[in-house]
Amino acid sequence: MLLALAWKNIWRNKKRSLIVVIAITFGLWGGLLSGAIMMGMGESMIKSAISRDLAHIQIHKMHYNRDKLITNYIPNSKEILSQLNQSGEVKAVSPRTLIYGMAASPESSFGIRIVGIDPQKAKQVTDIHEKIVKGGYFESDRKNQCVIGQKLAKRLNLKIRSKVILSFEGLEEDIKYLACRVTGIYDTESSQFDETNLYVRQSDLLRILESEAIYHEIAILLNSTRLIDPFRDQLKADYNSLQIQSWNELAPDLEFLSVTMQNFTYLFVAIILFALLFGITNTMLMSVVDRIRELGVLIAIGMKKFKVFIMILLETIFLSLTGGILGIIIGGLSIVYFNFAGINLTAFAASLEGFGASAILYPFLPTVMYIIMTIMIIVAANLAAILPAWKAMHLQPSEAIRTY
Amino acid sequence: MALIEIQHLDKIYNSSAVAVHALNDVTLNVEKKEFTAIVGPSGSGKTTMLNILGGLDKPSSGFIKIEGTDIFKLKSSELIDYRLNHIGFVFQAYNLIPVFTARENVEFIMLLQGVSKKEREKQAMALLDSVGLADRSNSRPNQLSGGQQQRVAVARSLASHPDFVLADEPTANLDSESAGDLLDLMETLNESHNMTFIFSTHDDRVIKRARRIITLQDGAVKSDVMN
Repeated sequence: MLLALAWKNIWRNKKRSLIVVIAITFGLWGGLLSGAIMMGMGESMIKSAISRDLAHIQIHKMHYNRDKLITNYIPNSKEILSQLNQSGEVKAVSPRTLIYGMAASPESSFGIRIVGIDPQKAKQVTDIHEKIVKGGYFESDRKNQCVIGQKLAKRLNLKIRSKVILSFEGLEEDIKYLACRVTGIYDTESSQFDETNLYVRQSDLLRILESEAIYHEIAILLNSTRLIDPFRDQLKADYNSLQIQSWNELAPDLEFLSVTMQNFTYLFVAIILFALLFGITNTMLMSVVDRIRELGVLIAIGMKKFKVFIMILLETIFLSLTGGILGIIIGGLSIVYFNFAGINLTAFAASLEGFGASAILYPFLPTVMYIIMTIMIIVAANLAAILPAWKAMHLQPSEAIRTY
Repeated sequence: MALIEIQHLDKIYNSSAVAVHALNDVTLNVEKKEFTAIVGPSGSGKTTMLNILGGLDKPSSGFIKIEGTDIFKLKSSELIDYRLNHIGFVFQAYNLIPVFTARENVEFIMLLQGVSKKEREKQAMALLDSVGLADRSNSRPNQLSGGQQQRVAVARSLASHPDFVLADEPTANLDSESAGDLLDLMETLNESHNMTFIFSTHDDRVIKRARRIITLQDGAVKSDVMN
């Protein structure tokens, strides 16, 4: 009955309550949607990085990331590849030969990473082949083809069929050269990646190196993201002399960014709720002042002051939750819609690519965040209720019942 | 033992520049089943007297014992409980909860007492029936006339089975017919249910029906007569 009384009380002044409810609804809607866009951007950066290059797990020789020398290749790669290919948890594997060197065109030269791949295997792990904007992705069997990023093409003024000279250190510390022809130009979400990664067939690279198969990196794509941590741990146990890292260990900045986006969303909503808190407090104070006589009567006839406090608290929570839940529903529906349709930010594509994010964002919020938002609303409502509830419970009934 | 024993009651308000002696050495007893009116001109101390009798205000000195309990020795929360279980209130402006129906208004007191829902509903309907408003049990206060609202307020005041009912100018806002009906009802409750009523009033209609009239003047008892 106290709950019913509190609920009915908030609708006694419909206009006043509706203004607060609408303020909370739209405040929260805006907060949730912008938070979801930030989260979507973070997720886009992670997904792009995983599908562009990182995959779920990578294997390197221990300390390869510190000394990226050609000689630091994985020693027992055949055995590892054989085990990975037999694993039911692995979707695809792409062994890569990585060499740091220079790419030179008749006009300019630039320091790059030469990525030697088996195109068929690489296709199953990364999506560079889907990002081709000119030419193709190793479509013919012709030797010495290379696929380069659009930004590198611009920097070196290269076009399809242009010749590019790659120079790099060989296994014997000698300088090797590979003259290749540009057969494909790709454009990913990250302009930085596009500028520094050049793909060639592994066989072309090995021929120049006069070496049998050597791999510096094995990129693994699993059947499910939930398998990443346990599978990584299993590999670590099996190959403790190698460096085995999941995507978030390889790119901690990306994970940090994702967590930061989540925290920013909480902060954003907290700021909105903090601002709304004053509006709610004001409304509830007005509501208490309007009902001083009635509250005095309730205390006079035997309602304990604590219960009066609870009643005002409940009224504030109901008022805030009504707006909060509406805000969460509208915000949730907007997020679901835009998650399906996407938000086209092509106008900002250049700056988004600088961050490695897609120009089409798919906002999303994890379910747990909706729960935490609801708790935040209840906490804000409790804070907003303190002053009006305190005022109500300290009324002197003999004076309050004579207030008109 | 008297139902209410009032001894040397003083109430001085010091809020303004000049101290106001609202009650001045009031001593009297109220017995069970009385139908008593406290009368006097404005400023005579009627309201102060009723507030102190109801435990809503504290005396400056003196004491009030209700069935032997000195109510001002109770803690604040105990006093609220005491009011809930021992004193019924009827106010001049009815003061029903506007968002509740007549039945819910009557039930609310019993809810505070912890009475079960089923029992609350049963007793509330019986009380509304006794004040002649069973058919308006689902009406909200704004759907009832002033007289009907005051009868609901009487039913509410009786819901807690109090020792006595304090009625502050209960007929002041009512027309003659409604006031007459209300007094009939209170008289019936007084006689059939042995309920003690104490009114503060300057309404002649109430004074004529009261069986004891206590007249206050300048905070002191000027006369105390049986009618």
